[in-house]
Amino acid sequence: MRFRDLAYLVVSNLARMKLRLVLTSLGVVIGTSAIVLMLSLGIGLQRNITAELGQIGAATHINVMGGVFGPGMNEPKPLDDRAIREMESLEHVDAVMPAVSVTNIGDVSYKRYTTFLMVQGVPMEPFQRLGYEIEAGRLPRNDKEILLGAAVPASFAAGFGPQGAVGGSPTPDLIGKRLDVTFFEYPSDTADPMAMPTESTRRLTVVGLLAPSDMQTDQSAFVTLEAALEFNGVTQRRATYESVIVKVDLPASVADVEKVLTDQGYYTFSARSIQQSLNATFLIVQAVLGALGAIAMLVAALGIANTMTMSIYERTREIGIMKAVGASNRQIKRVFLGEAAIIGVLGGSGGLLFSISGAALANLFVASMIEAQTSGAGGGATQSSFFHIPPSLALFAIAFAAGVGLLSGVLPAMRAANLDPLTALRHE
Amino acid sequence: MTNAVEVSGLTREYIMGGQPLQVLRGVDLSIEHGEIVCVMGPSGSGKSTLLNIVGGLDRPTAGAVVVEGEDLAVMDDERLAVYRRRQVGFVFQSFNLIPTMTARRNVELPLLFAGASAAERGERAAAALESVGLGARIDHRPTELSGGEQQRVAIARAVVGEPAIMLADEPTGNLDTTTGGEILALIREMNAAGRTFLITTHDRAVAESVADRIVHIVDGAIERIEQGGTS
Repeated sequence: MRFRDLAYLVVSNLARMKLRLVLTSLGVVIGTSAIVLMLSLGIGLQRNITAELGQIGAATHINVMGGVFGPGMNEPKPLDDRAIREMESLEHVDAVMPAVSVTNIGDVSYKRYTTFLMVQGVPMEPFQRLGYEIEAGRLPRNDKEILLGAAVPASFAAGFGPQGAVGGSPTPDLIGKRLDVTFFEYPSDTADPMAMPTESTRRLTVVGLLAPSDMQTDQSAFVTLEAALEFNGVTQRRATYESVIVKVDLPASVADVEKVLTDQGYYTFSARSIQQSLNATFLIVQAVLGALGAIAMLVAALGIANTMTMSIYERTREIGIMKAVGASNRQIKRVFLGEAAIIGVLGGSGGLLFSISGAALANLFVASMIEAQTSGAGGGATQSSFFHIPPSLALFAIAFAAGVGLLSGVLPAMRAANLDPLTALRHE
Repeated sequence: MTNAVEVSGLTREYIMGGQPLQVLRGVDLSIEHGEIVCVMGPSGSGKSTLLNIVGGLDRPTAGAVVVEGEDLAVMDDERLAVYRRRQVGFVFQSFNLIPTMTARRNVELPLLFAGASAAERGERAAAALESVGLGARIDHRPTELSGGEQQRVAIARAVVGEPAIMLADEPTGNLDTTTGGEILALIREMNAAGRTFLITTHDRAVAESVADRIVHIVDGAIERIEQGGTS
């Protein structure tokens, strides 16, 4: 028997039982949907996290926060220059970059543009070693110079800020331009909580623009560490930092180094640890979907087996006729296995379509949530998709559903194949 | 030249309610090429069992069946299927057409399992239907055909694979006398063109109208063989 003719027999047999076919494959639709959504959530999260955290090589970064009170510790461990030298001497550590946020900053304006900026003071040498790339210009060298994140010029144009009504303007080219930065100074020698701060303005020259990386970096600006300390009014040289980024040599070293730092009393987080905690959360969702999928698939398989058994019973005489005109057991078996597999494929395709549209809807929803939270952030908004269905997953889904169908058809098909032709012919 | 069919010492035993029931007890029969042999006997005499065993639908308990030099006893299920496909054309009392298929599709079925191409099948099925006088009803389904026409489709299906022997089990049993007569005429016509037939019937008139030899079976054994009137 040729494959075309087998396909013809299978399809014309199935066409005779359309309603039963639809009902039976519905079980497979549900099972496949649950399984595809589960897997696509896992793939999507993985991709998402890699995209969010992995752009500047964050796979090898560990964020270290100043010490916290912990069991057996009386005092927070300070993040100072000595601590940084200690970290630099650790095995697998490539670079250590302390960062100081400029806390007392107000508006930043350029001509009629105004925006808010997060300004960080960082030592420039480890900053480069950490993998931040300059798109244009150079690094700041003194306290009169500033480096902008990739999305900052666009945020000027978007008119982001209290007086910012200049939305829709073209993105200004800021390199070499001077920005007016407002600083607040709170009187330090008074206990009056209502004391008004004094404002002062500094002019900083934009010397460079970073290449796009992660969302936070894109919307920040960077000055030298000394400048940030000065802006914050920290006079003593022995500064403590709020956070330090430690870069290790390989992603595989993150866990070890993170453990050493945690043992020393630091609070740390890394792409890896964030990923782990996220994974733990979504693992529950995945487990629920997986369990639902497995149960649905099992029930669907029983449904297929049942439908096939019924249909073979009804077609017993037909099987007898086919045997009498020369169909072999193997050929009969193939016809019924084919029918079961096609039921699986139809259900799998339906499930795939359902999960593709379901995933698109869920992604749309998540994207709108994220947009609502970061509204007006301008061009730096990242494309978040929690469910991702690559072609390989789509193929796997169809093949898996076909496999389930085929497997469910094995017993009924064997039964059909082994029918005694005479008994079958006498069947009414 | 060897005979088309050689049956010797054929025994078939069924277990019925724990008791062995001998349906055939030592049947010897030869059928020559181009011969029409009718097996006559009352129901339960074993004539259908004989036909089914020769057709490879049933297996003997003992004895040998050799068709065109092929020994059925040594064949497994797969080879027996191939034997039915190549050497045998069945015609049943109740026609046994597949109701969802057109006449052409029904006739094509044996060729389909034999792996013939669609073009070859279509051509041969059309020719077979033409030869039984149904050239105009080729795309009708069995429900749209009369009993006689359905039996003609069944005969076309039996003959389309050019089998060594045609086996007809009460071919006129479900038909009125006139229509039955037309089917018998068709059988004579095909026999004149060289086809070999083994036919069971309980109707003496049927046997006498077509048979070269009439084999009388009673209680699973051949009682006597008489020469028919046609040769």
